[in-house]
Amino acid sequence: MGIFKKLGWFFKQQKKRYIAGILFLLLVDLAGVVPPRVIGILADLMNERRLTTRLLFMWVGLLLIAAIFQYLSRYGWRNMIWGGAATLERELRTNLFSHFLKMDETFFQRHRTGDLMAHATNDLNAIQNVAGSGILTFADSILTGGTTIIAMIVFVDWRLTLVALIPMPLLAISARILGSRLHQAYGESQAAFSRLNDKTQESISGIKVIKTFGQAKEDIDDFEGIVDRTIDINRKVYRIDSLFGPVTSMIIGLTYAVTIMYGGWLVTTHMITLGQLISFVSYIGTLVWPMFAIGRLFNVIERGNASYDRVYQLLDEKSLIKERSHATEHLVAGDISYHVAAFTYPDDEEVSLQNIDFDLPAGGTLGIVGRVGAGKTTIIKLLLRQFDNYEGEIKIGGKNIKDYTLEGLLSSIGYVPQDNFLFSTSIRNNIRFAAMDKTQDEVESAARQSAIHDDILNFSRQYDTLVGEKGVSLSGGQKQRLAISRALITLPEILILDDALSAVDAKTEAAILTSLKEDRSRKTTIISSHRLSGVMNADQILVVDDGRVVERGTHDELLALNGWYAEMWRRQQLAAQLGVGGAEDGAK
Amino acid sequence: MAQNNDSNQEEGYQSAWSRSITTKEQFKIIKRMMHFAMPFKWLFIVALVFSALLATVNILLPRLLQYFMDHYLNKGNTAFKIILGFAALYFMGTILKAIMQFFSNFLYSMGSEKSLEDVRRALFRKLHTLGMRYFDLTPAGSIVSRVTNDTMSLMDFLQVFASLITGLFAVVTAFIAMYSTNAVSAWIVLAFLPILVVSIWYYSHYSSKVYRHMREKLSELNVKLNESIEGISIIQEFRQEHRIGREFEQTNQDYLDARKAMIRTNSLLLSTLIDLLYAVAIVVVLTHFGLLAQHQFVEAGVIYAFTTYVSNFFNPMDDMMDSLSALQDGVVAGSRILRILDDQTTAPAQNEGAHGEITTGKIEFRHVSFSYDGKDKVLDDISFVANPGETIGIVGHTGSGKSSIINVMMRFYEFYEGKILIDDRDIKDYPMAEIRRRIGLVLQDSFMFYGDISSNIRLFNDKITDQQVEDAAKFVQADHFIEKLPGKYHARVIEGGAKFSSGERQLISFARTVVTNPKILVLDEATANIDTETETLIQEGLQRIRRGRTTIAIAHRLSTIRDAEQIIVLDAGKIVEHGTHDELLAQKGHYYQLYELQRGKNVDPA
Repeated sequence: MGIFKKLGWFFKQQKKRYIAGILFLLLVDLAGVVPPRVIGILADLMNERRLTTRLLFMWVGLLLIAAIFQYLSRYGWRNMIWGGAATLERELRTNLFSHFLKMDETFFQRHRTGDLMAHATNDLNAIQNVAGSGILTFADSILTGGTTIIAMIVFVDWRLTLVALIPMPLLAISARILGSRLHQAYGESQAAFSRLNDKTQESISGIKVIKTFGQAKEDIDDFEGIVDRTIDINRKVYRIDSLFGPVTSMIIGLTYAVTIMYGGWLVTTHMITLGQLISFVSYIGTLVWPMFAIGRLFNVIERGNASYDRVYQLLDEKSLIKERSHATEHLVAGDISYHVAAFTYPDDEEVSLQNIDFDLPAGGTLGIVGRVGAGKTTIIKLLLRQFDNYEGEIKIGGKNIKDYTLEGLLSSIGYVPQDNFLFSTSIRNNIRFAAMDKTQDEVESAARQSAIHDDILNFSRQYDTLVGEKGVSLSGGQKQRLAISRALITLPEILILDDALSAVDAKTEAAILTSLKEDRSRKTTIISSHRLSGVMNADQILVVDDGRVVERGTHDELLALNGWYAEMWRRQQLAAQLGVGGAEDGAK
Repeated sequence: MAQNNDSNQEEGYQSAWSRSITTKEQFKIIKRMMHFAMPFKWLFIVALVFSALLATVNILLPRLLQYFMDHYLNKGNTAFKIILGFAALYFMGTILKAIMQFFSNFLYSMGSEKSLEDVRRALFRKLHTLGMRYFDLTPAGSIVSRVTNDTMSLMDFLQVFASLITGLFAVVTAFIAMYSTNAVSAWIVLAFLPILVVSIWYYSHYSSKVYRHMREKLSELNVKLNESIEGISIIQEFRQEHRIGREFEQTNQDYLDARKAMIRTNSLLLSTLIDLLYAVAIVVVLTHFGLLAQHQFVEAGVIYAFTTYVSNFFNPMDDMMDSLSALQDGVVAGSRILRILDDQTTAPAQNEGAHGEITTGKIEFRHVSFSYDGKDKVLDDISFVANPGETIGIVGHTGSGKSSIINVMMRFYEFYEGKILIDDRDIKDYPMAEIRRRIGLVLQDSFMFYGDISSNIRLFNDKITDQQVEDAAKFVQADHFIEKLPGKYHARVIEGGAKFSSGERQLISFARTVVTNPKILVLDEATANIDTETETLIQEGLQRIRRGRTTIAIAHRLSTIRDAEQIIVLDAGKIVEHGTHDELLAQKGHYYQLYELQRGKNVDPA
């Protein structure tokens, strides 16, 4: 029941809706008491040959009024209570989503997309169930149960009522037991379904390999094995699921049997009339649902409670990135002074960066090179304030970056990440992602700077072409170039290319770098790359290995140093001589 | 990720929804889908027999009570033993009812489950007979969704029949029971049937629209959610939290509105309406009995039994209403399943009576032409001979037809002009199994399967020993990195080999080919960026595998094929140059240009 308290804020906020809903429920139940009694009375009247037309129309008139009343009240509570549940789900989803938008890298490293999605879908569903069927069951089992039992006592006989109620708790208990068993079996069934799904996914993705090695038959056998196991697992689900109806029937049957015995005796001894017994039997029918629902209520509450805790655990997580109270909005110049003594990723033990120091005047270009995993991207992440927990100080324009607001800092930086994520909207809106008010001319000029304009014109709907599943599938190189346009369109003071040209061929790379040099002459640029040609013209190059700077200088200085950089340069040159060239990945 | 899939499937769903299917087609689809239930007809028949018995018990129990009331209770001073006997009889009746309920539910569900899995099997088997063209044209996600999700709708589909048939049983038995109690009242209740049918039809028609709209909004919502989480760093870096939040809120609100519309529709029409009609029927029936009672005796038990039958008559309607919308789902899903089962893009077939073995590995292309769509020739009059043990390098720009050579050579696609000869015999005269055994293809994108390293090298072939797997790995020098893995050859491989670099995956793919020891090698060189260290291993690996095998190598790096016996330069599907590396350089033609172009480039990775 704790979950009702936890959701108290919502019920308070929706007080009117829930009070109205519960009043409607009460009306339904009060009206519901009428028909069994009227049927019993009419049966008695006919049985005793005392029914006049006036009496008849009076009673059936009452019945009709009760029916219409019930219809309207049912319409009322359904809209109120189910609507409330839907509203709660919307509310929680909004909270969760705006929370996600505020969270830092650490959060997203700790929780994978799939898990976050599961919280935002399955967990919210379980919680809204509490506000919907949970509240309904809770209120209605009390109301229906209460009104019916009172009607039984008032209209029929209190002793009979007491006796007939004895088997009823069994309903609640069995619903509870079967419910949790079913839930468990259903979990296994879901897992079996996932296996089947994964298997199919894999076979389709690897169809060429399977065909190549002539293994279709073996693959089919494997699939059928999984299918057979799935059937076995589902058999269990159906077995439990098919038990609900029979168990209910048996317990109700027991109640009827008890009623027949005791009620029959009461009728024969004239303690009650036959009509009263008929009413009583009808009332028993009304009690089935609330009793059964109470059993299920426990499952709803349990699941809702667990889900609520999971969701609030997420909502309670705080971003480690905090804005300082006196932080300024404005960013003037792009000179960077970067001095980080040590940085360790949260949840990690190994030190990721050590003694990274460089000063980059506004308008300068810094190159960062090194093998995969050397720490190139980490250096950039600190600059973007994705992590704040480092020893040292990073200054831009002479001021600690933590003294800027995130808005001020980040809107002055154009960032092109490694994984060039694009949104499933038009190419135009992808380019002007950061500034939706940019005109077509501005969009095109950014596209030209990153050498993607001509490609876009070749698409059937040009700048209106949709990106992603429903639209055009872009090559890796095209995605990278679009990501560059996206960063360029805001004319950022500082541009960061994080290995953002790896899928672009050397010629295009050179063209882009030249155009950047011309258009951004007074602005700062940081390029990380493992292709040395991308950084050779930088004013300063850092060679990073294992989180430290191992070499630094200009291209010529580094060649003269004859270390890792020079060795790498020779190897890459040699490869070029041999004719090894990475083509742009546009094969398909 | 799973969510993402879901939402994409959802998209596919919508598109199929938007097409209207004619009634005739619907019947055809239903008929064909019912075929899959045939092997399990006994499960269904027995389940339905139980369900018919159940309906009978359901009318016999009230009848028992009626008899008890009218013949004993009404008469007064009944012995307690008789009362006890009736109670026991009634309870035994409910036990019987419970047993029937269980078996009718369980058997029917199992029948549906087995039919559903049979459809899955049939689909999966069919997919393996389809040619590569099908897979090239159809997104993997949508195929998977056919096999897993659409087949699920079939289950609901069968459920519709269950609820229709049990509903029918209930209506018929209730009617018989009413008729035998009081014929006129029975006809009065039956008069409600047309009203019910119309309201059920109206509901399913109207609600499906509302429902579709709601599902569309939900899928949109989940797509947005998923995308925002995946692209969160971009959103934050570009300070677009407010805009994205606003857009999300809009969709969130749209979904709430759609859901509220659905709730309104259901509140107005679903069980509430049935309940209202039921109450009206009771009113009418009681009025009739009441008027009857003016001039003849109506026993109390009759009133009890009759009102119970009326409720039996109306009870199954809720279920039927609910399930009708599933019928629509089922037809749409069925049509998509049948589209795959009917697909004619089958894999190329060999000539009848194909037999024989590939021994030496000589390959000849004789005037081979090929086109994907029957119009534009992708390969145009290709002829060349590769003698046993020779390497033929094929170069050309993207789209020149290089990959098509592999596609026809591997029999992924059927070619219609010219001949491919292996050991001077038509390739179509060898059994497919022989071709697969003797021709090894090393793929550009080395897909890895869920399992471990060892299972990825041997694939499903159990005849390959662990020793052979290790030898193959050593041969291509993949053992260096495998030995470093935790669990070595039994190191887990997950989700398409995501943990491994493309270079490592390439080496595994080499080992896969080496372990089957093919006579002929078809090599599709990787274009992906590979770190320099692995690159060296790969180049050495290639040299080694080629030894003693006839090789057709599609090369992106000219260095790979410098020492090939012949090099073919393709352009727009035609062979434009043919010779050795030195000869071609001397010609100063296409090859020379390609060579210069690649030399001029500055190159990859560290």
